[in-house]
Amino acid sequence: MVKSIAKKEFISTLRDSRFVALSVIVLLLLLAATMVGLHSYQTLQEEREVAQQTVNEQFANSADRHPHRMAHYGSYAFRPKSSISFLDFGMDSYTGASVYMEAHRQNSANFSQAQQSSSLIRFGEMTVAFVLQMLIPLLIIFLCFGAFTQEKETGTLTILLSQGVSLQQVAWAKIAGYSKVVLLVVAPALVLASLLLFGRGGFELNGDLYSRLLLFMLFYLLYFFIFIVLSVVLSALHQRSSTALVTLLGIWILFCVITPKATANLGATLYTTPTKAQMDVEVHEEVAKGVDGHNSGDERAEAIKQELLQTYGVATLEELPINFDGVLMAVGEEHSSKVYQEHFDELTAIFQKQNNISVFAGLLNPYLAVRHLSMGMAGSDFSHYIHFQNKAEQYRYNQSQELNHIQATKLKYGDKETRLSGDTWKNLKPFQYEAPGAGWALSNHSISLVALLLWLGLVCTLGIRLIGYSKIA
Amino acid sequence: MRNFRILIKFEWFNFRADKGLLILTMLTLFAGIYGIYYGTTEIERQRENIKTLDVLTAQNVEEMKQKFPGDADAGDIGYYHSTYAIHNPDSWASLSLGQRDINPYYIKLRLLNLQSQLYDTDNINPLKVLSGNFDLAFVLVYLFPLLIIGLCFNILSVEKEQGTLPLLLSQPISLPLIVGAKLTFRIMIVLGLALILCLVAMLWGQVTPDIRILLWLSVVLFYSLFWFSVAFLVAAWQKNSAFNAVTLLGVWLMLTVIIPALLNVYVAVKQPVPQALDLTIKQREVVHGGWDKPKQETMEKFFALYPQWTDTVEIQGRFAWRWYYAFHHLGDVAVADLAGEYQQRLHARHELVEELNFLSVPVNVQGIFNAMAGSDLPSHLSFLQSATQYHDSLRGFYYPFLFKQVSFTHADYDKEPRHSFSSTPDFTSTYTGLYKLVISVLLVFFIGLLVFRIKQ
Amino acid sequence: MDIVLEAKQLKKQYQDKLALKGLDLQIKAGEIFCLLGQNGAGKSTTINLFLGFIKPTSGAAYINGLEVAANITKIKEYLAYIPENVMLYPNLTGLENLALFSSLAGFDYDKVQLMHYLISAGLPAEAASRRVGGYSKGMRQKVGIAIAVAKHAKVLLLDEPTSGLDPKASNEFSELLLKLSEAGTAIFMATHDIFRSKEVGTRVGIMREGELVDVLSAAELDANELEKLYLNYMHV
Repeated sequence: MVKSIAKKEFISTLRDSRFVALSVIVLLLLLAATMVGLHSYQTLQEEREVAQQTVNEQFANSADRHPHRMAHYGSYAFRPKSSISFLDFGMDSYTGASVYMEAHRQNSANFSQAQQSSSLIRFGEMTVAFVLQMLIPLLIIFLCFGAFTQEKETGTLTILLSQGVSLQQVAWAKIAGYSKVVLLVVAPALVLASLLLFGRGGFELNGDLYSRLLLFMLFYLLYFFIFIVLSVVLSALHQRSSTALVTLLGIWILFCVITPKATANLGATLYTTPTKAQMDVEVHEEVAKGVDGHNSGDERAEAIKQELLQTYGVATLEELPINFDGVLMAVGEEHSSKVYQEHFDELTAIFQKQNNISVFAGLLNPYLAVRHLSMGMAGSDFSHYIHFQNKAEQYRYNQSQELNHIQATKLKYGDKETRLSGDTWKNLKPFQYEAPGAGWALSNHSISLVALLLWLGLVCTLGIRLIGYSKIA
Repeated sequence: MRNFRILIKFEWFNFRADKGLLILTMLTLFAGIYGIYYGTTEIERQRENIKTLDVLTAQNVEEMKQKFPGDADAGDIGYYHSTYAIHNPDSWASLSLGQRDINPYYIKLRLLNLQSQLYDTDNINPLKVLSGNFDLAFVLVYLFPLLIIGLCFNILSVEKEQGTLPLLLSQPISLPLIVGAKLTFRIMIVLGLALILCLVAMLWGQVTPDIRILLWLSVVLFYSLFWFSVAFLVAAWQKNSAFNAVTLLGVWLMLTVIIPALLNVYVAVKQPVPQALDLTIKQREVVHGGWDKPKQETMEKFFALYPQWTDTVEIQGRFAWRWYYAFHHLGDVAVADLAGEYQQRLHARHELVEELNFLSVPVNVQGIFNAMAGSDLPSHLSFLQSATQYHDSLRGFYYPFLFKQVSFTHADYDKEPRHSFSSTPDFTSTYTGLYKLVISVLLVFFIGLLVFRIKQ
Repeated sequence: MDIVLEAKQLKKQYQDKLALKGLDLQIKAGEIFCLLGQNGAGKSTTINLFLGFIKPTSGAAYINGLEVAANITKIKEYLAYIPENVMLYPNLTGLENLALFSSLAGFDYDKVQLMHYLISAGLPAEAASRRVGGYSKGMRQKVGIAIAVAKHAKVLLLDEPTSGLDPKASNEFSELLLKLSEAGTAIFMATHDIFRSKEVGTRVGIMREGELVDVLSAAELDANELEKLYLNYMHV
């Protein structure tokens, strides 16, 4: 009985030409988004790879220079796009693509896509995630709004129930039928995306990528299922198809249009972001209390000097086996980096607090939950961005210290002239970014995951139970 | 006319008694108020931050004075001292924040190479900018159409579905009169709401009262009429409410999300901007290459370009500030072409969007709002231009000290030029946009009228 | 007496079906014309043509001497209509519904007058200020009657008006029709109800497959004969 209802829903939906037309449109958009995403991914990735390679070569082939000069010459970190970010650009278009890394200065990540666009980009981007997050739910609503109301309007529900099935059984049957239909629309695109991902090469195949992609798809399937059950339940609670539809569309607008923006804006209003200017000044002031690597006449430098002289048992800096300039630089770098990192972490914490509003709102809105999970899996979320920035900063610090070490060991005190051979720079490792694993990505989104599962549990238990309150006649 | 008034009166009764519609309207009103609140506080915050920059500059000067108690070498000052190029928000910016959250509204400048400083960004939370601004423009561009759709999707179909149409039509009134009255009533509600919100926003934001009040209100009027025309066109098809709702929402989605997203892709492909990374890489190469080149070569090159500084003594020793600034300056000269091209490409992108915005009325209207509020990409580019000029004037200020070997005294800090830039509204874009908008309204309305005639 | 309702060779062709095959009919003021016929015989088509809701393929319908198709709004001033299932604005009260339709017809009644019409039509007074959304079909039908009566029209068009009423209300409705006809209203009623037709009808028409096959004056017939005749026509 239940099976036959599911089958009936499945077949009659496929025979509904309007639904088929809509599905074809959605499918086409999904395919278009996949192609567009891949194209944009490849363009940006290539651009950044070429740029990274160029600067790496430039660094390795640098002329003979003084090491501290080299430290200021610095390096660039161009943020590589994560492999499956072509499915969900996430924040990538709004985050800077390049960070200039030099000695004792932390620069901002510059040149985001959004800065290079007119306000057009603010209308949203054509990505697979957009289609999956916003359009498929709309398709589901269109598919399911009449699940019960239509049967009520035509009077078939009472006949159906008089055959000895319960409302809940009818509901599950319909959910099963609709799920099959949705799968039919989504599956081709997901299969194509996977094929493109694994077939076109250029991507490194590894277990991590598989798990990210699988989780990505799994989250969306859960999300669709939640929307299907939600739509069927709401249809059961309404008497007329049109009111059921309007309610569902209202929910869609609230979920997908209003709350994402409202929560993000609310977060920014509640927790004030300090300006970079302010932050720089604070860092500068705190650093000034420490050691200035460029100023050896300073009190704190004097203390280090005395300590070193004592340790090595010599009287003057010139007699030290190591170059005091380099040591002082290293101490200064260590201090300023620590101060900067503290402030950067504070800033990150503020951003995190702002974002938490929208993360916790995921408990009320499955769209937000799946959005965060999707970006997380695609590697285009906030955590990945911060991860990159931290890695860049780490690299910057290590490189500076390495160069300071060279200065300390290979140069004499007070030597500002000697240029070390260009070969020295070849020994320094270029910047290479390793994206963190799927497990790490998922661990940043435990709340969103809980929210999604909670929604799943809620609609399947409470939702289905609510159907019992449906007015039949 | 009498019956028209009666119909409107009873539309009001119906509206008043319909909880759903009331909630929808109230929600829009609250969203509007929140949008205004958000927009004004955001701009207020930017103003506060800009004010703080003055304090920061003053502090920096104090620090300089302590660091260099006596007469100083201007080279040291140019190196350690920083000022800010400031992009003041227009008084209208609180109504439409545009790109002001993405593009920095101040740039910290030192006398060094400009191109390595010009593109630094402020602290931006990417999730926030990804989600966009909940300002009045958002409410008007996105949510008002939804309100209009909510009010109008069943304008005619509901009479059929609840069966009141036969009884209504058995009265001496015509169908066009009924539809006209219903539309008029809804237009009054929506425009009333829009007017209230806009006036509140203008008062709250304390906008400069100029022609833009009229322009803004006209844009809102025509934009609302555009959506009413769309709703009328769909209603004229005489399908059921469910069909209308889905169709209208589909049109909304098409115009506010899908077409803009596709346009964005098209623009990115048609007008790529690869210059940014090239620019940043090249300027480093040139500037740092300066250290390795013979000083004389650098100076000759510099003097060839700026003969006014030529009459100076030859540089002796390892380091001289004027040589340092000369090769920094030459770094800018070397990438001037790339920088110009970069900004030109961004302009071209914007212009391409302006050319294509007839494809989506919301894109056009958002463009008009941003142009009026001076918060669009061209405004930012003008700011970059202005910041460049400011940096030039800083050079003009410091170079005499450096090249004529004059000491920098404490009194000189006050003579240092300061920068302040306020974007101006782009009226040309506004008028073109408004003209396109009116055409769109007329086009859709007449198609609607045609369909209505045919289907009747 | 004046002819207020007239059809001249009135034809209506739907895509695949000739719904009305050239109807000729004249109804005078004060007459009650009952039109009997099966579902799909063309009764509702006839009423909709008189209302101007559909356009005739050929021929013409006249109300008060005006051709319906040419005076689509004007003729509504002379007619009142009660559909088979009176549907009203669910969010408005019965009183407000009546006020709306009356004022559209040109009558601005005060509350007392409106109440009078509703109560006369049989609606309980307490129900009048409740929202129509909670009304039964019979209650809505009564508001429909009040709307029609309050319009003081020359012609009253009825499409199965008693189908939702209980016998008592139905009987009151018959009395109301007789009263209206005495006052000079021409009444055209499409119905299945043979007995009611005999009771109130001045004339009774029998329609089959779009044709008026017989018209009898009520005086000529008693109820038994009418039923036999009707069934005869239906079975041929």
